[in-house]
Amino acid sequence: MSIIKSYFESEGLSDMQSPDLTLAGSGPKPASVRQATLNREDLPAWSTSQKILFRIAFVFFVLMSLPFNAGWYHNLFTIDWLHLHYRDLYDIARFSPGLGFLRIPRNSWLSLLGYGNWVVLLVIAVLAGFVWSLADSRRRQYNLLYYWLRVIVRYRAGIGIIGFGFTKLFPVQMPYPSLGLLNTHFGDFTAQKIFWLSIGIVPWYQVFAGIIEVAAGTFLLFKRTTTLGAVMLLGALGDITYVNFAYDGGVHEYASYFVLLALFLLVKDAPYIYRLLIQKKVVRPFYIYPQLNGWQKATRYILKGISLFLFLGVLFYVQYINFRYDPYKQPAVKGVSELRGNYEVQVFRINGREIPYNPLDTQRWQDVSFENWSSLSFRVARPGLLDLSNGGGSPMQDVLRSFEITGTAGGRNAFHYFADTLHNVLYMENKNMAGARQGRFKKRSGKAVKDVNRTADRHAVAALWNADSIRELIMNEKYQINPLAYSTRRDREYVRPVLPKTGQMVLHYRALQGGDRVILDGLDINRDSLHIELTRTHHTYYLTPSTLNAGTY
Amino acid sequence: MTNLSEKNPATEASSWRNWEKYGFRFFFIFFALSVLPLSAAYWRNLGAIYWLHISYEDIFDITRYFPWISLAWSGYASLIIIAALALAGASGWALYDRSVCRRKTDLDKLHKWLRIILRYRLAIALLGYGLIKFFPLQAPYPSLSNLNTAYGDFTRWKLFSMSLGIVPGYQRFLGLIEMLSAFLLLNRKTTVIGAGIVIFFTGNVFVSNLAYDNGEGVYSLYLVIIALFLVSFDLGRIYSLLFQQKETLPADDALQWPPGWRANGRLAVKSVLILFFVIFYGAKTYSAYRLGDYYQLPQRKGLPGAAGVYTVSVFKWNGNDLPYAASDTLRWKDVIFENWATLSVGTSRHLVLDSTNKESVATGDLNRKYELSGSGGRQYYDYTVDSIHQALYLHNKNPHYPEDQWTLYYKRQGNKDWLLEGTDKRGNTVQVTLEKLARRYLLKEAAKTGRTELLRL
Repeated sequence: MSIIKSYFESEGLSDMQSPDLTLAGSGPKPASVRQATLNREDLPAWSTSQKILFRIAFVFFVLMSLPFNAGWYHNLFTIDWLHLHYRDLYDIARFSPGLGFLRIPRNSWLSLLGYGNWVVLLVIAVLAGFVWSLADSRRRQYNLLYYWLRVIVRYRAGIGIIGFGFTKLFPVQMPYPSLGLLNTHFGDFTAQKIFWLSIGIVPWYQVFAGIIEVAAGTFLLFKRTTTLGAVMLLGALGDITYVNFAYDGGVHEYASYFVLLALFLLVKDAPYIYRLLIQKKVVRPFYIYPQLNGWQKATRYILKGISLFLFLGVLFYVQYINFRYDPYKQPAVKGVSELRGNYEVQVFRINGREIPYNPLDTQRWQDVSFENWSSLSFRVARPGLLDLSNGGGSPMQDVLRSFEITGTAGGRNAFHYFADTLHNVLYMENKNMAGARQGRFKKRSGKAVKDVNRTADRHAVAALWNADSIRELIMNEKYQINPLAYSTRRDREYVRPVLPKTGQMVLHYRALQGGDRVILDGLDINRDSLHIELTRTHHTYYLTPSTLNAGTY
Repeated sequence: MTNLSEKNPATEASSWRNWEKYGFRFFFIFFALSVLPLSAAYWRNLGAIYWLHISYEDIFDITRYFPWISLAWSGYASLIIIAALALAGASGWALYDRSVCRRKTDLDKLHKWLRIILRYRLAIALLGYGLIKFFPLQAPYPSLSNLNTAYGDFTRWKLFSMSLGIVPGYQRFLGLIEMLSAFLLLNRKTTVIGAGIVIFFTGNVFVSNLAYDNGEGVYSLYLVIIALFLVSFDLGRIYSLLFQQKETLPADDALQWPPGWRANGRLAVKSVLILFFVIFYGAKTYSAYRLGDYYQLPQRKGLPGAAGVYTVSVFKWNGNDLPYAASDTLRWKDVIFENWATLSVGTSRHLVLDSTNKESVATGDLNRKYELSGSGGRQYYDYTVDSIHQALYLHNKNPHYPEDQWTLYYKRQGNKDWLLEGTDKRGNTVQVTLEKLARRYLLKEAAKTGRTELLRL
């Protein structure tokens, strides 16, 4: 891209007077005079190819930088600004490029690893660029429009990366592994999971990465620090893009989106840097800024002020609240206080028949853990259908927060529980949503129909309880986090709570000796009756515990 | 303003402000003391290299010189001591320069020399690491035993290394970036770009060393300091151009080499260095990579046909039959034979770990402890096979358990299972039956099919 190249040789512009434009730092003149105004007509003309390239680039990057899907606007217009949730702002900052009505589905062969939407926009931009070239062929240059295009891209990239960065700055994007995950063998994870966990175990490093991202985004919001911000963005997101390809992380398209925006923002200054630092030649940089009148200036300050206030001020606060009381990938509700920690199964009886310990037994539970939050996890040496998703998203209900089981095998099971502490009953729901996802899979390939049917049968048998029978417990969950973390978004999801229907258990518990011994009685997902006696083990992990814990339990 | 023509650009007049002079003298001494290999141990190691059969590990050690004056505070004390010496030296130097009777030192020329030395020092360091990543040797794929160890039973350092080990392509990408910045540093004009990449890249390495408790923290910090010094030269110009957005003059950092032996000598030295640290070292790392010669993994082959994961279905300790028990610290939980001569036993005992988290290149299988360093939950034994007596002589690789040695007689049972019977050094006897497990790993299965397919494991 050599749009700017012609300015190197331009001289003598600084003496001309006109109220149209501001030209900063041009030409040999006293250092004190750093601004001059000049006529539009006096600016050097762009070559035809520069103009055509610019028109295409303009349409392309505008399309790339603005949201064109109904969901984004729906979120924007339904935000309750007085009872914000971090996700409200995060969803403003996070959208992938693409036209809603032309969006290519993920699984289509046209998706080109997710880059299909970019190609669509590029084709549109090329067509529009040629039409524009015909209609506006006499135009000499687009300096001002170029400035505004950079503003749009800067704000898109800046706000986007700030939204991304805050989930690391307050480390919730990669949670510290739960007990269930700590007890799972290294080979029983997907590569994606291993990468996420490897950041989760070093929360302070995650904070560092978050600071870099937020700083890069902040630099992009100011014109003089744009290049610094773009270099940081390019470095950080270039690495993240590669990480996503290497670990099959699934976010490569969104990460490389920022790489593209960063590269575009570097187009202007890169030739200057090359000329000054590598060719060792003198550089007279050429920057053009519009000269705004009173109300325009006011608008600019207000818009900029709002952006900074929302995405550096408010987002900081709501993200902190999220980290402190409601980390979005981890259940937020405290677990029953006596039921915490790792347990060894002493006695396991199913339908009255006792099964002695054997690590290979396909029915007996082993390795039982109650998390600090409302989850139970255990292992059975029996293969199961796996949920290989990232376990992200923004569910408010704890039962839908599945990071502790996604991408995890080795016979690991994780259940959410609604605890009736008055009657010592746990109403449990399987967190493995592979069964629920099968429907979608079936449509695509028809491969696993047999599995689907079998699981569906089991679910029909297993429905032990439903939203009505324990309505009060379910609705009560909404209030079980710190009131500071209440939000309208949370209220809305609890109006009609979802139960994934992936397998239910009802277990009565007795906690003896402060929970060092626990006795569970009840029905499992197949309506087999269980009697389980647990003893707490005091296993010391070799992995250093986190010194920066999300959530309050 | 004099001549602004492109061929012969004007440069900033090299006038030194006072604080710049003090700063320069400090850094000159600091780097002189830390870059020049003044340590005796380094030369001893160099002398011990068998130059005719030099290995990539030897060259790696050469690239990785660091003045270990003190090991206190993970070696950071070394930098502090050198800084203190430099401070004292710089003060003396300033006094010397101020004394009227003497000729002042030509700081410009010294600075140019220093930049050359630092560029090469940094480039060699990056090549050292870059090539063992580009040909992914730095982090091997996790061993069978490591795949069968619980996540929480590793240290942070080990998890970091294994997480890198599962993605050789990513390792290669990281190596490529290190090599790229090395090449940019070897070329004077692109120095600032190369050093800029190092600040971000190695800066990140430094922070992750702190986070993961790796042993390379002080060394990576040292490399970042060199890069910062190199970039600081252009910092004023970058600020003037990008932030103040005003006309900026380039700088001249080229040392004039008069034609003749000096110019030829320069070319010769540069060629030799590149030949040795790029071409020769590159060929060595490449061939090691092709041969699978990971410096972390033992090389001797294991018991033929035994590699795999076994459950211990029968365990007799001094004749007593112990049933499966989850937290019995005596009973073996399971046994894993690696492809190489290592056997590991799952245990509920809490172990004292062997944690060498430094990039030290070990020779001899017994010293290759990557598989057990930072990994708990299992005891790792190096063994020799006596196929005549059908015996294995086991030796615990963890230095905290020197007495843990076994003589085990082996017998095949069926075509998959094994019977082991023998005694340890203290006279305890065991009889175990090992049944082979058909283990499948999600890590490998998901890599084959992708995460959008249904998997039952």
